[in-house]
Amino acid sequence: MDNKIKYAIIAVAVILIAIIAASSMFGNTSDNDPTHIVLTVPGHTGEPETGFNPLTGWGNGHLNYNPLVQSTLFGSDENGSFVNDLATDYSISDDRLTWTVHIRDDVKFTNGEKLTANDVAFTFNEAKISDGELDLTNLEEAKAVDDKTVEFKLAKPQSTFIYDLRYVGIVPQKDYNNETYGANPVGSGPYKLKQWDKGQQAIFEYNEEYYGKEPYFKQITMVFPEEDNILQLVKSGQIDVAEVPISAYNETVEGYKLVEFESPRAQGFSLPYLPDTGLKTADAGSPIGNNVTSDPAIRKALNIGINREEIVNSVYKGFGKVEYTGVDSLPFANEQAKITDNNPDEAKKILEEAGWKDTDGDGIREKDGLKASFEVYYPPNKQDRQSLATIISEQAKDLGIEIVLQSADWDTIYTKMYSQAVVMQQSSDNPYSAVYQQYHSKSAEELVDSDYRNPNAYNSSEVDAILEQGMNAGTLEDAYQYWSKAAYTGSGAGFGPNGDAPWLWAADNHFGYFVKDDINMGTISKLGQDYYCNILDWTRESSSK
Amino acid sequence: MTKTEEKHKSFLNLNLRTKTLLVIGIAFLILFSVFVSNYFIDHTAVLTSNFYNINQPPSFEHLFGTDWMGRDMFMRTLLGLGISIGVGAFASVISTIVAIILGVFSSVNTVVDEFVTAVIDLFGSIPHILLIILVSLAFGGGYYGVVMAVGLTHWTPLARVLRAEIKKINTSEYIKLSEEFGKSKLWIAKKHILPLIFSQIIVGVILMFPHAIMHEASISFLGFGLPAHEPAIGIILSESMKYLSMGYWWLAFYPGLALLFLVLLFDLIGENVHKLLDPQSAQE
Repeated sequence: MDNKIKYAIIAVAVILIAIIAASSMFGNTSDNDPTHIVLTVPGHTGEPETGFNPLTGWGNGHLNYNPLVQSTLFGSDENGSFVNDLATDYSISDDRLTWTVHIRDDVKFTNGEKLTANDVAFTFNEAKISDGELDLTNLEEAKAVDDKTVEFKLAKPQSTFIYDLRYVGIVPQKDYNNETYGANPVGSGPYKLKQWDKGQQAIFEYNEEYYGKEPYFKQITMVFPEEDNILQLVKSGQIDVAEVPISAYNETVEGYKLVEFESPRAQGFSLPYLPDTGLKTADAGSPIGNNVTSDPAIRKALNIGINREEIVNSVYKGFGKVEYTGVDSLPFANEQAKITDNNPDEAKKILEEAGWKDTDGDGIREKDGLKASFEVYYPPNKQDRQSLATIISEQAKDLGIEIVLQSADWDTIYTKMYSQAVVMQQSSDNPYSAVYQQYHSKSAEELVDSDYRNPNAYNSSEVDAILEQGMNAGTLEDAYQYWSKAAYTGSGAGFGPNGDAPWLWAADNHFGYFVKDDINMGTISKLGQDYYCNILDWTRESSSK
Repeated sequence: MTKTEEKHKSFLNLNLRTKTLLVIGIAFLILFSVFVSNYFIDHTAVLTSNFYNINQPPSFEHLFGTDWMGRDMFMRTLLGLGISIGVGAFASVISTIVAIILGVFSSVNTVVDEFVTAVIDLFGSIPHILLIILVSLAFGGGYYGVVMAVGLTHWTPLARVLRAEIKKINTSEYIKLSEEFGKSKLWIAKKHILPLIFSQIIVGVILMFPHAIMHEASISFLGFGLPAHEPAIGIILSESMKYLSMGYWWLAFYPGLALLFLVLLFDLIGENVHKLLDPQSAQE
């Protein structure tokens, strides 16, 4: 008996020592090469399920960012302006239906093939028919005129088309296979995929054939951590750059600085614009309209009554900016479309004048027996949106408007978006999706659950006409005046809060990244999701290593 | 001997029955007050966010500290326990009804008995949590989904016990005698069987509570249960996971302890009621 116990103790001790020894040997394989960098995938998008294939969303899905493996026709610099990558120049025909792009002829794919205009045309024609996130419905055909020239034929003029030429990685026509490309991408970008451990990380190494500047960092390890684990990764020092969740914005970690990246990422409520007349969506038969939010007085009162400054300071811990129109930080922002907020007295006056009065003393106003109450949906596991919904509903309560929080997955939210408020986010800098698709009216057939653009069914014929003018404008800059005018037309209409106020935009949510002290990122990008757009300029200060 | 000493002595000299009753009474009082407090507290008023006071450690002002929106964790925990008891109560009632129906049903004839056993085995063969998640999703989630999910999955042990008990009773002579006297099956079930299995049912219901509460918390923790803005214990614990690495231990510690305490109280009541209703076991 005694012997047994003795043996057991010895056995346990041996096992423990073995485990400790093994873990210290295998667990401590830290990489000391200063030209290797570890960072998180941009913008919470997580691991790309279909791999690193631009045609299924890599780099140009919900969020746009540098695809690393592939080159693109155009890229963004730190200010969000267009820069040439493959393209050398471009021109637009007089009827604005043909875009001609010239490309460099010194570019090779990693499989040794030369990149020609044929590959560019192939990429866009494939992107049009593949089920990626790109909306290329307006592109009729891309055609290679010669090795260095591509022509894009549009169905109707689109002044913003250059945005669609940005961030789309060019894939080789030869041997392209939609099924296998994602795991074995062949591109001509600064890096090539060395190894992809699904569920953990992807390792990219420098592409010696790259035509551009040679980067300092020769290897990038991209990790796909869960939001909850990021801070632990940072604290353990295993990562050089990590996007941090909102919960960690007031944390400090030794050896790291918390860098704020500006971003046009606007968050706010979409407020159903139509009254409930029994109308249903064309595909799923979900209800359309809400009798409370369809009253302009309610929408205006909310926009004027809430305190955006306080929201930025509390929900986003200062990592943000107040937002009124959804596009405040873009070049076509319209000051006239804004209102002065944090004015509950004015808001209450608007409600009183519109007939919303609290007659039964429960703190919620009524009008003709209808309570000033609606629901707001937010996706679970998104703390920023949950806290935004919470604080706005608390502020609205002081105005006498009840906003009931509802948490639901996106499939459910899409069935509710035409009839209840939803905490939405707008992060595109492309006027086509940020303004045109967002505020252009939808016909009865277009009111479907599967289209989250213009989710509250805003419609104004005046705004529609201005948006069409914007699409027909000669250049991107010419179109700005129309995008701006659509926010406030001057006659009281417009998508801004001073116009029809179809939305309750609250704040721009900037991105926060923990960056190791020795990493020098150059100029900080203004498009927070594409935080490594200038990765070729990044260096590591060797002094601290 | 003074009066107080006398009182003290008699307090210590309580017999087992009175002691048991006292324990049950106190435990019940605590649970009842937690549950009832839910209806007297204005949820929105006590859970107002205060972003200038977030993630505060426990203090006299905030006994359990505050969370990531600056809400008082003591109030959230209290309301969470109330929700837990509510879910437990509803779910236990549903479970008990299912268990009684199936248990009684199994005594009709052998074919039905086989069927009932098969259903019990079927439910028992699917991993518990998985089944709860599936049922909860099927009922559309939320409070209703959780109640139905927990209720429709927790009846198997009680149904098994009832079935066995009824089988045993059915073989006894007085049942045979009643049958020979021409009493209907319903009459026998009402007059002979039900009174005998009544204690099993009561104990079964009370002991189902801890299970139901724990499972409600588990699936809310996993994100398949109550919505994230409800102050449920599962939600609180899953939120606290985000902050453990920052050292905010109170977010998980107190609510977890409170949940454990709640479950233990139910266990205590269940065991003591069992002693009362089934005195033989008390002598064991």
